[in-house]
Amino acid sequence: MTRWSIRPTRWPVWLALCVAAALVVGLVWHPDDPALPRAAPAPPAGLHFLGPVPVMRSAGEDRTARRRQLAEQVQLTQHTYCSYLQHTRYPHTSRPAAQHPDQLYPNQPVRESNPMRVDGGDSDSGVLVQTAQSRVYLAAGETVEFSLRAVDARGAAVPLVVTRALAQGMGATGSRFAPRVTLAFLQDDGDHWRATFAPRAGALAGFHGTIRSEVRFSAAGRTGVVLFDVIHSPELPAIWAGAPLEAIGPDALEFTLPLDVRLAGRYVVSGRIDDALGHPLALASFNELLGLGMHAVVLRVHGKLLHDADPAPSLPLVLRDVEGYLLREDTEPDRLLLARREGPVLVSRTLSLAGVPAHAWQSEERSRYLAEYAKDRAAARERLLAFDPAARLPPAGCSGPALVQ
Amino acid sequence: MKHRRIPYALYIFCTLCLLLASTVAGATNYTLWINGRSGGGTPGNYSDFRYWGPAATPAGINKQAVNWDGRSSIASQSGRVRDALDCFCTGQNWCYIAAYSAGDLLLGYTLANYGGSARAVTNASANANGVCAASGGVQTGWNLKWVRVAAGAAGGSELANAGAWTTSEPLVQDLKTSTARAMYNHNDTRNVWFYRYAGARGTAYSFLLPGQDDEVVAYHSSGGVAGNAGRSLCNPGDWLCDDLRLGTAPNQGGSVKWSWHSVVFRDDGERFNHYGDGNWAGIIGVMRDAMVDTAN
Repeated sequence: MTRWSIRPTRWPVWLALCVAAALVVGLVWHPDDPALPRAAPAPPAGLHFLGPVPVMRSAGEDRTARRRQLAEQVQLTQHTYCSYLQHTRYPHTSRPAAQHPDQLYPNQPVRESNPMRVDGGDSDSGVLVQTAQSRVYLAAGETVEFSLRAVDARGAAVPLVVTRALAQGMGATGSRFAPRVTLAFLQDDGDHWRATFAPRAGALAGFHGTIRSEVRFSAAGRTGVVLFDVIHSPELPAIWAGAPLEAIGPDALEFTLPLDVRLAGRYVVSGRIDDALGHPLALASFNELLGLGMHAVVLRVHGKLLHDADPAPSLPLVLRDVEGYLLREDTEPDRLLLARREGPVLVSRTLSLAGVPAHAWQSEERSRYLAEYAKDRAAARERLLAFDPAARLPPAGCSGPALVQ
Repeated sequence: MKHRRIPYALYIFCTLCLLLASTVAGATNYTLWINGRSGGGTPGNYSDFRYWGPAATPAGINKQAVNWDGRSSIASQSGRVRDALDCFCTGQNWCYIAAYSAGDLLLGYTLANYGGSARAVTNASANANGVCAASGGVQTGWNLKWVRVAAGAAGGSELANAGAWTTSEPLVQDLKTSTARAMYNHNDTRNVWFYRYAGARGTAYSFLLPGQDDEVVAYHSSGGVAGNAGRSLCNPGDWLCDDLRLGTAPNQGGSVKWSWHSVVFRDDGERFNHYGDGNWAGIIGVMRDAMVDTAN
C-alpha cells in the first residue's frame, strides 16, 4: 500500500473531509468578492466615471489615483442602484412620456438635412438638401410621402429640378430587384418637390424588405442624388378585430385591443397616452408571444405613474397612435407590420384616479436587479473604506443629481 | 490496487459536493465585447479577440468576445448577442458590456425587442456555436450591470446615406440614419445605462458627417442624440455649431439624448478616431481603460 492509498474503512473520514472542503469552497470563496484581489491586472489608466475629460495616470503606482478610482466606483454603483430604484417604480411596459421623447409622435415625417451629394461621391457643402419622408416602415396598403428642397448656407432656397426618381427593392444581398417603379415628383407651390409612393399600386406590391428610392436632381448647376429608404411589409400578420376596451386592473389602467392573429409569433406593440389636454403622459408597450386566433393586446398605464404625475393629469386619458409588428426572430426582413392606428383609438371613461392602484411595480426582475446593484454598492463602499478609512462616503439614500434621467 | 476499494458512491458524493460548492460560488461577472462593422473574430468563439487587439490585453473581468460578422443585417445577427447574453448573463451571472460602432445598434435592437423575453438560465459553458446548455430555470431578460459604448452607431452614419459604403452590404442599409433611428425604441434599455464615448478626430469624411465626427460616426450618433439625424453637434468653442453636452443634459440648441444614455467622454482634444487598428486603439482604447477600471 502506498502512502496515499485510502483504506476502505476510512472512507467516512474522507467523506467528511470532502464535504467540509466543498462547503469551505462554496460558502467562503466568491470570485467577485470585493475583499479579494481582482482577477485582472491593475488598470493602466483611470477614467473619471462621469467626468468630461480622461486623465491618464497609472492607478497602480499612484495612491491618489487609486483612491480616486475607488471613489468613482462608489459613485458609479450608487448611481446604478439609485437610478434603477427610482425609475422602476413603473414597469418597463408603462413609462413616462418624457422618457421617450422621440416615440411620442410616430407619424411625424422624418426630416434630414445634408450637404448635396453630387456625382462621383463628392458633396457640395454650399448646398444643403432638406429631405422628409412620412414613414420609414410601411405596412401593407400604406403609402409614403417624400419631399426635398435645396437651400444655401444662409437658408435661402436654391432652385432644384428633379430629373429622375426610381424605386427599387433591395435584395437580401443588396442586389437590385426588377422591376423598377418610377416615382412622379412634382413641385408644390413653394420650392419643395414631392411624391407619394404606394407600393401596393405597382410592381412592388408583393415585395418584402427595403425599397430604395433614388432621386436625381439638378441644383446650383450640378447633378445631385438623394436616397429614400422604406421597409415594406406586403402582408398583415394580424388584424385588429373589435372595439378597444378599458378596465382598471390590479396595477394599472388597462386598454385592451382585440387582435386576430394570422401568423403566430412575438408581437411588439406600442401606444401613446395623452391627458385630456393633449399632453403626452405615457408610452405603453406590449411584447409577447401570441398564437393563432383571437388575443388581447393590453396596453397599460401603471397606476402609480398616474398618481405621481405632477401636475395631476386632466382626465379622461386618450390612447392614440397605436403601432406594432410581428417580430421574426433572426430573419431578414425582421418584421411584418400591423395596420397603423393613427390618431385617437380610445377615450377613457375613467374620470377619477380614486379607484386606480397607486403601488410601485414589483417583480422578480426588479428584485433581482436591486439586490445585485445593492451588493455592488456595498462592496464599492467597503473597498473605499478599506483603502482609506477616513474617506467620506456619499449618503446611502437615493437622492440628488445622480438620478437625473 | 487497494484504492479500488474506495466505494464508488464516495466519488460520486464528493463530486456532487464540489458541484454544489461551485454552484454556490458560481456567481460570476463577465465582460462582453460586441464588435462593429467588418467583423473578423469567429462568431461563437468567445475567446477570439482578433477584432479588437491582443487577447492578453486587460479589458474587464472575464472578458468575452461576442463576435458577429459585421456585414449582415442587425436582425439576422441579433441571435449572436442573445446567445452570449444567455450564456453569461443569466442565473447567478452578471455582465458588463462594451459595444462599439454598429455593435451599439445591435445591442440596442436586441434589448428593445427581446429584453423582457423569457430566457433559459444556462451553464455558461459554450459549444462551438457559442450556445450554452440550459441548466434549469427561466428568467425575465438578462442580468446586466451597465453598458459602455464607443463610437456608437445606433443613430446611423451619413456614410451609409451617401453611398460611401457599398450598398450590397445589408448592414449598410441598416446604418442609414433614418432606418437606424426607426428600427427600434432606443430609449428602451430596460433601465440599463449606456455610457457613451464620442471621438472627434475625423477628417476624411467631414464633408459628409455633420458636426464633429470620428471619421465614421458623427456626434449625433456617438453622443446618443434622439430624434432625426443630420444634427450638427460639436465640442465647446465652435461658434457655428451646437455643443454636445456631457452626461444626460440636453445639448446646446435643445436636442436631447435617448433615455438611459449618458455621454461620459467627449473628445475635446480631437485625439481619438474611429479605428481600433487591431490594437485597442482610437476611441476603443478610451473605453477599454474605463472597462478595466470599472468592470470587475
